[in-house]
Amino acid sequence: MPLWFARGLRRGIVTTRYPARPDSSAAGLPTPPAFRAGMLDHRLADLLVTVCPSRALRRDGGVLLFDVGRCTACGRCQEAAPGAVAPSGEFELAGTSRADFVKKIELGPEAGQ
Amino acid sequence: MSAEEALAGQLRQRVARQFGRSLHIRTLDTGSCAVCEQEIRLLGAPHYDLHRLGFFFTPAPRHADLLMVTGPMIRAFGVAARKTYQAMPGPKLVVATGACALGGVYQPDAFVHGAVDEILPVDVWIPGCPPSPLALLQGLLVAVDRLAGKVSGLTFAAGEAPQ
Repeated sequence: MPLWFARGLRRGIVTTRYPARPDSSAAGLPTPPAFRAGMLDHRLADLLVTVCPSRALRRDGGVLLFDVGRCTACGRCQEAAPGAVAPSGEFELAGTSRADFVKKIELGPEAGQ
Repeated sequence: MSAEEALAGQLRQRVARQFGRSLHIRTLDTGSCAVCEQEIRLLGAPHYDLHRLGFFFTPAPRHADLLMVTGPMIRAFGVAARKTYQAMPGPKLVVATGACALGGVYQPDAFVHGAVDEILPVDVWIPGCPPSPLALLQGLLVAVDRLAGKVSGLTFAAGEAPQ
């Protein structure tokens, strides 16, 4: 048996075990943001709506509507409000209903001032 | 649960069983920037090895069970997209892939429809710009009912503790 073949067998398999086991490369992926609703007031929410280039954010009264389907994980909302927005770490986002992708984020108690 | 819903559930299970372990995918680019295509192509690389899960790519819609659509559906491509869908044998699935296909990047105007579901009946949506090969894998497994979609349970509201 050629040496390189034995070495290849010994060093194991490169193929990921996903979905049976989590994949190690998933941690480095850009992911849609998660919002700390308590730190968001109307003014900051409106700022996030204007910086979003893909129209994923919309404010409806005291609720920030986040369409995960439209999000490109560009990170501009995170730059605009570093404390209130952080990557969610979620990449398994496929779904069978388009309405499931629109998330309602209740704005903080100081909203409306 | 109504009788129709129960029937739809049964039909869905039967389709999943039929597709079970072998499913042929046709990709359709409706004006994407080609990064989604690069990620789709990566699914065949040794690290992801799509074939271990029983998915295969086919160059002809007549051999395909699943249509993977990328891009914002430019208006010039609407007819071709409809014809591609009609050419597929049933039962068939449509997967909208990437933020463009979900309506995120281009607004509907004189040149684009803006989202794939304007033209085709979409079964599964995969967000991401581009969706990583892992996200695509999860989307394909959701499409054949081998994984349950998680997105309905996510809130995207983080905890209150400051970092």
